[in-house]
Amino acid sequence: MQTKPVAQFKNIKKRIGSKLIIDDISFEVNAGEIFGFLGPNGAGKTTTIRMLFGLISISEGEISVNGFSITDDFEKAIAGMGGIVENPEMYKYLTGYQNLVHYARMYGNLTKERIDEVVALVGLEQRIKDKVKTYSLGMRQRLGLAQAILHKPSLIVLDEPTNGLDPAGIHEFRMHLRQLAEKENVAVLVSSHLLGEMELMCDRIGIIQNGKLVDIQTVNDFLAKDEVVMRVTFTVDDVIKAKACLNKLYKDQDTIVKETSISILMDTVRIPDIVTAFVHEEIRVSGIDKETQTLEDKFLKITGGSGIA
Amino acid sequence: MRRMLNLIQNENMKIYHQMSTYIMLGLMIVVVIAGGFISTNGGPGQQATTNSDWRTELTEQNTNLQETLKGIQSQGIAVESAQIEKLIKTNNYRLEHNLPPEYGVWGFVTEFSVLVDLVSLFVIIIAAGIVAGEFNTGTIKLLLIRPIKRWKVLLSKYIAVLWFAFVALILLFVATFVVGGIFHSFNGLNQPYLGYKNGNVTEINMLWHIFINYAYACVNLLMMVTFAFMISAVFRNNTLAVGISLFLMFTGNLLVGLLSNYSWVKYILFANINLTVYTDGTPVVKGMTMTFSLMVLAVYFIVFNLISWYVFMKRDVAT
Repeated sequence: MQTKPVAQFKNIKKRIGSKLIIDDISFEVNAGEIFGFLGPNGAGKTTTIRMLFGLISISEGEISVNGFSITDDFEKAIAGMGGIVENPEMYKYLTGYQNLVHYARMYGNLTKERIDEVVALVGLEQRIKDKVKTYSLGMRQRLGLAQAILHKPSLIVLDEPTNGLDPAGIHEFRMHLRQLAEKENVAVLVSSHLLGEMELMCDRIGIIQNGKLVDIQTVNDFLAKDEVVMRVTFTVDDVIKAKACLNKLYKDQDTIVKETSISILMDTVRIPDIVTAFVHEEIRVSGIDKETQTLEDKFLKITGGSGIA
Repeated sequence: MRRMLNLIQNENMKIYHQMSTYIMLGLMIVVVIAGGFISTNGGPGQQATTNSDWRTELTEQNTNLQETLKGIQSQGIAVESAQIEKLIKTNNYRLEHNLPPEYGVWGFVTEFSVLVDLVSLFVIIIAAGIVAGEFNTGTIKLLLIRPIKRWKVLLSKYIAVLWFAFVALILLFVATFVVGGIFHSFNGLNQPYLGYKNGNVTEINMLWHIFINYAYACVNLLMMVTFAFMISAVFRNNTLAVGISLFLMFTGNLLVGLLSNYSWVKYILFANINLTVYTDGTPVVKGMTMTFSLMVLAVYFIVFNLISWYVFMKRDVAT
């Protein structure tokens, strides 16, 4: 894989009034990689993406795409980019096809064939001649992706792209992005507040909190650092006996007891031991759930528990 | 240039694919047709219907007018006597040149050229929506992330608005012509319009006369539409742009009337917007000339546009 930077953020700051919304962010997105921009709502993901697209001014620093500054060389920089900012908002009273024609005209030299090709790629052939107001959110996302890749950009930026997609749609979407990154060497910048999604989709993840870029890691590093201690929930027939049993094994761990289940924070390696202990006490176990870590948990860990904005 | 045409084509596509556009244009045609009905049932068209003894009628009318004129002149009301003199001279001209006073299709078209104000209203609505609407729906973001500078995007929108005004005016003309013809016959198409200048009756080509009528009414249209466009670009709010523009359009003259005692009233847009006062009528403030008004209008026009463009190009898009 090449490591040619397509998008470069150099010491970006954004001030609104006296408030510093984005505080000194620097990173690069390379050709052929999917970069995940991870952070809770209000951390500054969308603001950063807006600056990248030139929709809002940059207070300090410079963003360049393919070597062109978005502030000084807007047309050249933006020509290499495509994407969605927040929601895929299209003209609802036009058909999907008319929407694409609308954007294609703004690039001047796109053919009808290219539009058809993109429509087929995102799987909208059946509905492309229908008005967008009849589309589901998932279909709008597909149309959003279609307009983003219409002009074969070298950087694709997608803000919360899997909003409104069903699991099959998310899977398909991921495949599209992978293909674009690997086969066409496109750089992809994806923002999300869902960690699980990012892990599956991205090569590298940058974590943003309160307008600061806290950490950048490859997904592999991210997972390696992942501790095995997590909250495990056992569905049992007798929670009282189970609680007594767990208290014996983990003396100072709090348990959460519900009507048919009990959960505890523990090292997942020891799950079999617990099951054995339960069986020994004649507690019938009908289910074990490892709670997937939310971004918040992860976030608290990485940022030293300073909380979410 | 090619790209600019594409942009205008885009804006047109957006205007002409909205239901509201057709409702407005349809409404205009309904008003014209309704006008056709009214004008044949006791409206101004009826009383002017030509009959064979129009000569006796005009002669009679002139005798009456002469008497009224004498009465007025003894009281010394100059304005009214000039009006009556004009009528008498026009009637005489008709008698001398065998031009029967026919209402007909041209009468209808001329009379209903006041509907240019209705067109103005519709164009204001389009102008108010064309920028603010994109902000309301959030589509502005996908529109501005293309390799086209913002001023070009705005220019394409402005041109599309003016193009819509042009289309609507043509439609108004055609509608009034067709409806007028159907209700009042297409006779007298070659009839000239009788103008009056410095005490002399002059023949003016009818189409030219109607064109001039439209053109005068369009001064108001252009200024108010540019104003609505500015509000739309600055406040990014559809309702506000329509509201303020219509409010000013309807209260502008009232405002000028209220302030007519101050000399600076002549710098107010609305004191200059009606240019017909320089051909027949009296300007708001004595000493105002056509050139003065045109200059004031030009200044407003430039200022409105500068504000629109400056704000649209500089402000953050954070919808």
